[in-house]
Amino acid sequence: MQTLVTGLSVGGIYSLMAVGYSLIFSILSFSNFAHGAVIMLGAYIGLALATRLHWGLGLVVAGSVVGAGIISVFNERVAYAALRRRRAPSLFLMISAMGCSVFLENTVYATIGSRFFAFPEFFRREVVSLWGSSLSLLDLFAFTVSVGAIFALHLFITKTKTGIAIRAGVNDMTMCSLMGVNTDRLISIVFFLAGAFAGVAGVFLGIKYLVYPTMGWVTNKAYIAAVIGGLGSLPGALAGGLILGVLETLVSTYLSSVLRDVFSFTMLIALLIWLPNGLMGRETEEKI
Amino acid sequence: MKRFLIFCAAAVLAFANAAFAAEPVRIGHTVSLTGGASMWGQSEANAVDMLVKKINAEGGILGRPVEVIRYDNRNDAVESVNVARRLAGDKVIAVIGPAQSGNSIATAPILERAEIPMIVTTATNPYVTVDQKTEKVRPYAFRPCFIDPFQGTVAARFAADRLGAKKAAILYDVGSDYGQWLSKYFEDAFTARGGKVVAKEAFRSEELDYRAQLGKIREFAPDVFFIPTSQKEAALAAKQARDLGISAVLLGTDNWGSPDLIDLGGEAVDGAYFVNLADLDDPDIRSFVTEYRKTFGGDPVLPNPIMAQDALIMIAEAAKAAGSIEGPKLAEALANLKDIRVTSGVLTMDPSNHNPLDKPAVIQKVDVKKKAFVFVEKYQGR
Repeated sequence: MQTLVTGLSVGGIYSLMAVGYSLIFSILSFSNFAHGAVIMLGAYIGLALATRLHWGLGLVVAGSVVGAGIISVFNERVAYAALRRRRAPSLFLMISAMGCSVFLENTVYATIGSRFFAFPEFFRREVVSLWGSSLSLLDLFAFTVSVGAIFALHLFITKTKTGIAIRAGVNDMTMCSLMGVNTDRLISIVFFLAGAFAGVAGVFLGIKYLVYPTMGWVTNKAYIAAVIGGLGSLPGALAGGLILGVLETLVSTYLSSVLRDVFSFTMLIALLIWLPNGLMGRETEEKI
Repeated sequence: MKRFLIFCAAAVLAFANAAFAAEPVRIGHTVSLTGGASMWGQSEANAVDMLVKKINAEGGILGRPVEVIRYDNRNDAVESVNVARRLAGDKVIAVIGPAQSGNSIATAPILERAEIPMIVTTATNPYVTVDQKTEKVRPYAFRPCFIDPFQGTVAARFAADRLGAKKAAILYDVGSDYGQWLSKYFEDAFTARGGKVVAKEAFRSEELDYRAQLGKIREFAPDVFFIPTSQKEAALAAKQARDLGISAVLLGTDNWGSPDLIDLGGEAVDGAYFVNLADLDDPDIRSFVTEYRKTFGGDPVLPNPIMAQDALIMIAEAAKAAGSIEGPKLAEALANLKDIRVTSGVLTMDPSNHNPLDKPAVIQKVDVKKKAFVFVEKYQGR
């Protein structure tokens, strides 16, 4: 039981990060490997707000959401927009994204340095008992917010006019622009949303662990989660994150903690071979 | 004519040698000025510069002034090898550093080939001064600090005797020599004292979430929880352990001794104990600490500055004893140093393994409210 609870709380954070990958993949059909770096910047923004301005948790999350959202839009405008207009293959976009990620990480190294930072303690170190297993207050809160945010995003995409335009864009971008939708604006909105989720994930990761330039590294796991669920699918990202979190915890507990990543990445390779669309993904040829 | 030219060349060389006698003696310093260990590295560089000034004011080494050639090894094994090559090219007589066991093990063969003695500062792994394959002592590697078997034993003695612990759990980094060996030394010594290691769990370097391992450890309800990692992993493990309701006393090693342990770990590391090489409140180093504060306007980041000063004093004393700065003679004198006065106390080398015979270890307690490491106990070596 404890394993399951721990696994779900680890998975909640994976889901939150996987959503960013899925959103962007759904509309531009490429894996935005700069997402990890945006999460890292989101964490630094949150950290600055919490330690310099002494804001409370709600405001810190809000500030980080807006900040990371803007960074994400900016990233798209500078690095991807030109490629997109030239109708470059999605492989080019992906390589550009990797470049952005290395650029952003090293910019932080050069300006802020490689020091580790910790958030001030927003939660009392209190243990909640849940069906006989213990869970920290923070984990419970992070899990609730993650699932809530993903649900809200789902509502936004299915119920609002902008959401419908995004879904139309997912189906056929050219047709969508012929119907009078401003696709540049649409893509900016999608990147803002992905950035917003990166902001939330960054703050939670920072509180849970530490803030440092290569913290975006964990997004490799989120990427696997997105692949499990099917890249481009929101419910898939949620389910994929939770499944990966639980499976990893089971492997570490009952087999060996050292084998955990061997297992996760084997799963990634196996899925790409036998089930490239994941659990809930749509049919596509390219998955990178 | 040809013979005359050769004679001229020889005469010029001889003359040049005589003129160079007043040239400075170069000592290499390989240290992490950037990267994760830069906090200690910067402080170490300060302490070495402070002592060089003093040595030069007192006449230098064998009447020649000392010049330090310093390169940043960025706490990276590959970069450490590059730095060692560069220092060998600079014709230094001896090298101070590196501070970390992995970097030191990478550096040792290069300086050995160049016949340049190296005195590492805080590298505590036994295989820094002894070749792991042949089990023979490395002729050019020395250290002024204690080694991990002693550190692991001290931690186990403290856990069993002072804390009265019967059951211990261990969490270590499977990718680090430091953690793997310390876990073993601790386990051996703790078992020898009648205790039992109930859970021994590992994680991979760079991993941040240890809750799966900690969940397993919790089931055994250990009295003491030994975490031989750096301060970053220790802080994370402490937080996550408390979140899972593990109430065991936390016990760490000298890598914990960084001021940011308290910033990173917060409440979770309060009351934890760890083994360290030196303590700011140790009366033996009081005069050093006062001088350092006066010169640089802050506390030295222990233990590296102390150990680097010890290393420099060892080089100076060995050169005096040998009456020479040639590599082989200097190395022999270093191996036979006896009862010399160093910054951390008194030092005698063990010629069989190039480790000091009587280096003490201190136990410190983490006090989060005071934001300090409080001196608890001192264990004498030997």
